Amino acid sequence: MNDNRPKVEQAKTEVAAEPVPQYRAGDVIHTAPEFAVADADVFAVERGDAIAGTSLWRDAWRRLLKNKLAVFGMIVVVIITLVSVTGPFLIKLLTGLTPDYIPSDVSLLRSIPPFTAADGSFSWIHPMGTDNQGRDLLARVLQGGQISLMVGVIATLVSLIIGVSYGAIAGYLGGRIDNLMMRFVDVLYSLPYIIIVIVLLFLFRSATARGQVVLLFFALGSVSWLTMARIVRGQVLSLKNQEFVLAARATGVSTPRIIFRHIVPNTLGPVIVYATLTIPTVMLTEAFLSFLGFGVQPPLASWGSLVTDGIQNIGIFPWQLVFPGVTMALTLFSLNFLGDGLRDALDPQTRKQ
Amino acid sequence: MLRFIIRRLLITVPTILVVLTITWALVRLAPGNFYSNEKAVPAAIEKNIREKYGLDKPWYQQYWKTMRGIVRLDFGTSLKYEGESVNAIIARSLPVSATVGILAYLLALVVGIFAGSIAALHPNSKRDYASMTLAMLGISIPNFVLGPILVFVFALTLYWLPPSRWNGFFSRNLILPVLTLSGLYMAYIARLTRAGMLEVLRSDYIRTARAKGLSEWQVVTRHALRGGLLPVVSYTGPALAFLVTGTVVVERIFVLPGLGNYFIQASLNRDEPLIIGIVAFIAITLLLANLVVDIAYAYLDPRIRY
Repeated sequence: MNDNRPKVEQAKTEVAAEPVPQYRAGDVIHTAPEFAVADADVFAVERGDAIAGTSLWRDAWRRLLKNKLAVFGMIVVVIITLVSVTGPFLIKLLTGLTPDYIPSDVSLLRSIPPFTAADGSFSWIHPMGTDNQGRDLLARVLQGGQISLMVGVIATLVSLIIGVSYGAIAGYLGGRIDNLMMRFVDVLYSLPYIIIVIVLLFLFRSATARGQVVLLFFALGSVSWLTMARIVRGQVLSLKNQEFVLAARATGVSTPRIIFRHIVPNTLGPVIVYATLTIPTVMLTEAFLSFLGFGVQPPLASWGSLVTDGIQNIGIFPWQLVFPGVTMALTLFSLNFLGDGLRDALDPQTRKQ
Repeated sequence: MLRFIIRRLLITVPTILVVLTITWALVRLAPGNFYSNEKAVPAAIEKNIREKYGLDKPWYQQYWKTMRGIVRLDFGTSLKYEGESVNAIIARSLPVSATVGILAYLLALVVGIFAGSIAALHPNSKRDYASMTLAMLGISIPNFVLGPILVFVFALTLYWLPPSRWNGFFSRNLILPVLTLSGLYMAYIARLTRAGMLEVLRSDYIRTARAKGLSEWQVVTRHALRGGLLPVVSYTGPALAFLVTGTVVVERIFVLPGLGNYFIQASLNRDEPLIIGIVAFIAITLLLANLVVDIAYAYLDPRIRY
């Protein structure tokens, strides 16, 4: 075992004994680029300008903007978010249609193709067509976007809180506790968590559609924190022996405060990167659960549940699958590119050659 | 190595018990029961049913009975498929799921490693960008969107392949499910291979291999792939877990009588022995598979010692 590592209390006196951090497979080890000099600074010196201080963040932002695919991803994500949030209101203003508006005219209670009026002529009223009940598909896709994005972001926040705390505590305390905590994560890793989620969601399914969405936040968040915990632990291992932690200890700062006020803020880079990549994973899982009928319940819709409705009619009304499916795939695609770009920008070591 | 295996097994057994206890408790805590789906059951019949399935006994006796059965790998009798043992259902449905899953993973390995190697050998070339964009598409398109689109194109429009249903092993019915399932893994494996190969191709031993006059083909297949594929090997563990999830979707779309389909049906029916039996079976299989992956990892990477 690794009991040569000083306990936290002892460390105040045993400063000299610097334990070697123990990494394990899967850890992402991020070393802070303390001496990194931004390209812009070099140019500034060559031109003889005074050097403007370049923070790690500004430097990363500049690198991100150079990555075309990441910029594309960022723009698409921003547009889709804005359109999803404002779209249903605009549609209501322009056409008077709401996502759950079912026409009272019986002849309209059918799926109309895109850009077509009820009589078959060209029309702008339903750019994505309508679903089986005659509801405007565009309004439903936008409202589904609200739910899908909300589930993605909030469940990721839940997983962030659990994963960061767990990983930071394990990494900082070290020794036997760390070993035990990370073994637990190893074991959870190999479990078919989705099955536990299904049991959980089915058995505690809420009577209201809104309640089910809230349940989804926690169910998905509570199974997506494992990788985050590993990443943060790796970070903390490399940070905890640095001088600023030592200084905090020497001035008598309590252990929880050191972990959450001094160490965790320094792990922010990789945490942001991984959180960005968790959002599409969570959204996919939500869609998967909706596909199986355990996720978002009517009258609310998510992209997953709209796709599921579309699958039923794939042979006759393909637009019911294509529009929500493509919107969702485009969003996931963009989020993945943005996450990849953020990783390259924030962690220069793994940058493309 | 032996110590490592024993230690892992010692930790695996309690984990499985914890997972099963949680599942058991969840099924128990949920409101409702398996015999009254919509209409109320007369009290006398309800009493008989509860006696027959041992539901009248205190909870710890029922729990003990379930756990004792699992230790002996006897998961009891299904409540909904009358007279059928859970073992028989698993034995019947496992080959279906396993065939689809294994074929999909093999296809993903072949295509993924090939595409990833090509991308890594020509970094920042058109081929690199094309294969990596395709890979990102593969990661972003959910399999329940990909599946119906494939069905729409190849079955409902072109009439080349049957749209669904099980028709025995090695039938044309398997092509679409296997393609649907393997898309995501293909993409992941291509990305992992590219990253791993890029790193290896820059290392000294590759330069040595080239310097001593080996052909590029030999450098790649004999020297680079072994090191470059390490990330792919370590991905196999999580991939197996995701494969279980994926098969659930594919079995639903293509109406295949596999484990995943039975599991969803069992959750909807609240068929407790079947739920717990399938969870136990999958958990045990996955944990053992992960052990094998770890051993393979140590074999491939001499730096890793347990």
